[in-house]
Amino acid sequence: MIFDWVAKLLGPIPDYPEFWRQYLDSFDGTLGKRTPIEEINFVVFDTETTGLDARKDRILSIGAVKVKNWQIDLGQRLDCYVQQSYTPIGETIEVHGILPGVNNENNIDEIEAVQHFVGYCHNSVLVGHHVAFDVSMVNQVLKGMIGQRLANHRLDTAALAVRVSEKKGYEQPGTYGLDTLCRKYKISMSDRHTAAGDAFITAVLLMKLLARLKKRGVKTLGGLLRSPSF
Amino acid sequence: MENTIPRRVYDFLKEFPPFNLLDRDLLMRISERILVQYRQSGEIIFRQGDPPNTHIYIVREGAVHLLWEKDGEPVLVEECDEGDVFGIRPLLAEENYALTAKVVEESLIYAINVEGFKEVLEKNPKVAFYLASTFASGIGENYRRQGKPMLFLDQDKMADVSFPLVEVQSLEKSKDPVTCLPDTFIREAAVIMSQREVGSVIIVDEASHPLGIVTDKDLRSKVATGQVGLEKPVAEIMSSPVITVGPHITVADVQIEMVKNRINHLCITEDGTSASPVIGVLSEHDLMVVQGNNPALLIREIRRCRNGKELRHIRERAEDLMKKYIYQEVAIAFISTVMSEVNDELITQSIKLSQAEMDEEGRQRPSAGFCWLALGSEGRQEQLLRTDQDNALIFEDVPEVDYEPTKNYYLQLAEKVTRLLNEVGYDFCPGDMMASNPSWCLSLEEWKAQFSTWIFEPSPKAVMYCTIFFDYRPIYGMEELATALTGHIFENIGGQAIFLGFLAKDALQNPPPLTFFRNFVVENGGEHKDEFDIKARAMMPLADAARVLILDAKVGKINNTFRRFEKLAELEPIHKELYEQAADAYEILMRYRALQGLKNKNSGRYFKPSELSKMERVNLRNCFQPIKELQSLLTLRYQLAYLR
Repeated sequence: MIFDWVAKLLGPIPDYPEFWRQYLDSFDGTLGKRTPIEEINFVVFDTETTGLDARKDRILSIGAVKVKNWQIDLGQRLDCYVQQSYTPIGETIEVHGILPGVNNENNIDEIEAVQHFVGYCHNSVLVGHHVAFDVSMVNQVLKGMIGQRLANHRLDTAALAVRVSEKKGYEQPGTYGLDTLCRKYKISMSDRHTAAGDAFITAVLLMKLLARLKKRGVKTLGGLLRSPSF
Repeated sequence: MENTIPRRVYDFLKEFPPFNLLDRDLLMRISERILVQYRQSGEIIFRQGDPPNTHIYIVREGAVHLLWEKDGEPVLVEECDEGDVFGIRPLLAEENYALTAKVVEESLIYAINVEGFKEVLEKNPKVAFYLASTFASGIGENYRRQGKPMLFLDQDKMADVSFPLVEVQSLEKSKDPVTCLPDTFIREAAVIMSQREVGSVIIVDEASHPLGIVTDKDLRSKVATGQVGLEKPVAEIMSSPVITVGPHITVADVQIEMVKNRINHLCITEDGTSASPVIGVLSEHDLMVVQGNNPALLIREIRRCRNGKELRHIRERAEDLMKKYIYQEVAIAFISTVMSEVNDELITQSIKLSQAEMDEEGRQRPSAGFCWLALGSEGRQEQLLRTDQDNALIFEDVPEVDYEPTKNYYLQLAEKVTRLLNEVGYDFCPGDMMASNPSWCLSLEEWKAQFSTWIFEPSPKAVMYCTIFFDYRPIYGMEELATALTGHIFENIGGQAIFLGFLAKDALQNPPPLTFFRNFVVENGGEHKDEFDIKARAMMPLADAARVLILDAKVGKINNTFRRFEKLAELEPIHKELYEQAADAYEILMRYRALQGLKNKNSGRYFKPSELSKMERVNLRNCFQPIKELQSLLTLRYQLAYLR
């Protein structure tokens, strides 16, 4: 028992593949509750999937951008399509326009895509619109691969939007949907329903929400994480 | 890696200059590396005086103000919204930011890091030309032509624009104040005022101490109304006491005194009190002139000048005015019009003064009238800075007996005028192309014969004269003499294709401005060793080409090179683009020459390429492009290969 603890302290468990060891190493304690918003590395991402059930549906594409200090660097974006041999459900094709099984030389398999993603995120704060779903999709793959799950802090832009609006009482369903919020915050909705397009739109939304929260005195990661889960 | 997001950025950028001028691949590469910045109202993106960072900015949504901070007071220079680019010129020209960029509403800004493709942008001739033309043309023109201009200048140049409230410059001019004694009749005083072209006369005692002042207004309100008779002494209508100030006073002081006392004239005395002699008068009009923002006033001042020194003084003030225009990026077409007006008026006044002098010497004016012609750059209305004078004189045809005395009179007049112009600062022409040269002071008949000789017996020397004389423009006197000569020339050229061929060939004589390796060709030796001759290498080829083509098209009265090209663009739609480029290029070259001249306090003709900023060098190089194309057009049109 004590030896396990020592082993953990001395270094990563050698059984993990390289990408995961590097991932674990990235949690070096530099990111904490007192980290100011300006210094937080955010990874805003979105996945397109074959359906809404994390247990049986599969990832079709992952799109992500990095946000730091009120800036998105397009030079550091993640935009990959996943090769799936999965029989698609008609509806999702309509939404995403991705035809699974079509061989595109740029496409990579699901495991490779998730490895990319994990390497891309490292210890960043993960952000998404209804981020829990996208995280669970990634975790599903990681679980099957190495029996692990993502350890990052998460922020849900839908939850942040609720916090910003401060509305009490009944609200129309869909008030915090991405489309509605884009209209509310005047964000151009091009490339909606591609993983990368949605990730980019969500990143812009994130910055606009953060600016409003900051005006109300939310200045650190700790303050952000206090938002109600959604 | 897919490119969903950059493609969207690309679609946005390609709608706006200068990005719409880039090729697809380059713009896509730029789009892939863009930084999308979220900026809140009140944020400063960069500050005036900061060295440029490595980014060009374009507003995706929101609004940014570009402010010029002067004495801590920000002045709004431009408002940027969706699609507007800012911060580009300082970056490419390696100059500090001339303005402060301040976000005024929640904005998304695309920041483009040019590290890596700065060179590509600079070398792209379309982009450089875009930047050059936004630099060269006036603001209004730009809004029409290609969206918003970029008002990014050197900082020190911007700083120069604000004229300090210095000591009153026109004091010197009014050192000889118009005065009279209190018992002078009002009629006499009025005559003195109109003769001296002044709006006021100071009433002084025997010791020249001021007693009062009579102004135009007093004459209007007290005399013209019949209230006071013309034969009364001025003392009856003068305003007294007169407000006096000392000789060392600033414009601001003068303004305060005038406003405080609700007066339009101040009297300058030796010690600033009314108990010392008058040394000058300052009117509100003088103030406006000192502030230097009104060319019309300058021109009126010229008409009051009595000698070369005074004229020179005005010409120097006109140059200050021009400097301000140049640095404020006012359109060259406007600047050259204003400066030509000033030059024309200076010449006219010189002629009038010289004639008056000859009248005084008792010389009888001949019955035959004359016309004074400006040649060369002044003829083309392109003289911004003072250069050598080039002029000629036509007088009306006279019976043979009268020829000698008439010619003598005009030669003597020309002698006086050219000497006066030399005093004003226009050097004598080293080639003696002046009206004081007996060869260039001729009767209309003689001039017609002279031009016929040049046209029908073209020789290299004749062609050289043609390049100077064909740009003549009547300045003073009987314009119909010039019109008659022009008619004669067009009649003759009609049947003389060979003459135009010679002229065209001459237009190709100027050596190319760039070496094989695209370096500037500099002078090999002499006084201007290692300097670039912008006139001979870049401007003359364009001016020469414009002259041949416009003569061929038989269009008279348009002398200005860029206006000639504009006219040609109208006449020959096939070459519209080339002619328009040539017109733009010529304007840019004129601006560079003026800038260099102002900087080096000379005519601006020679300068060291190494003293230009990189962007300026790129801009200049792009101006040379139409030269080459025009020269091949001339070669083809006049089949010059055979003539060589």
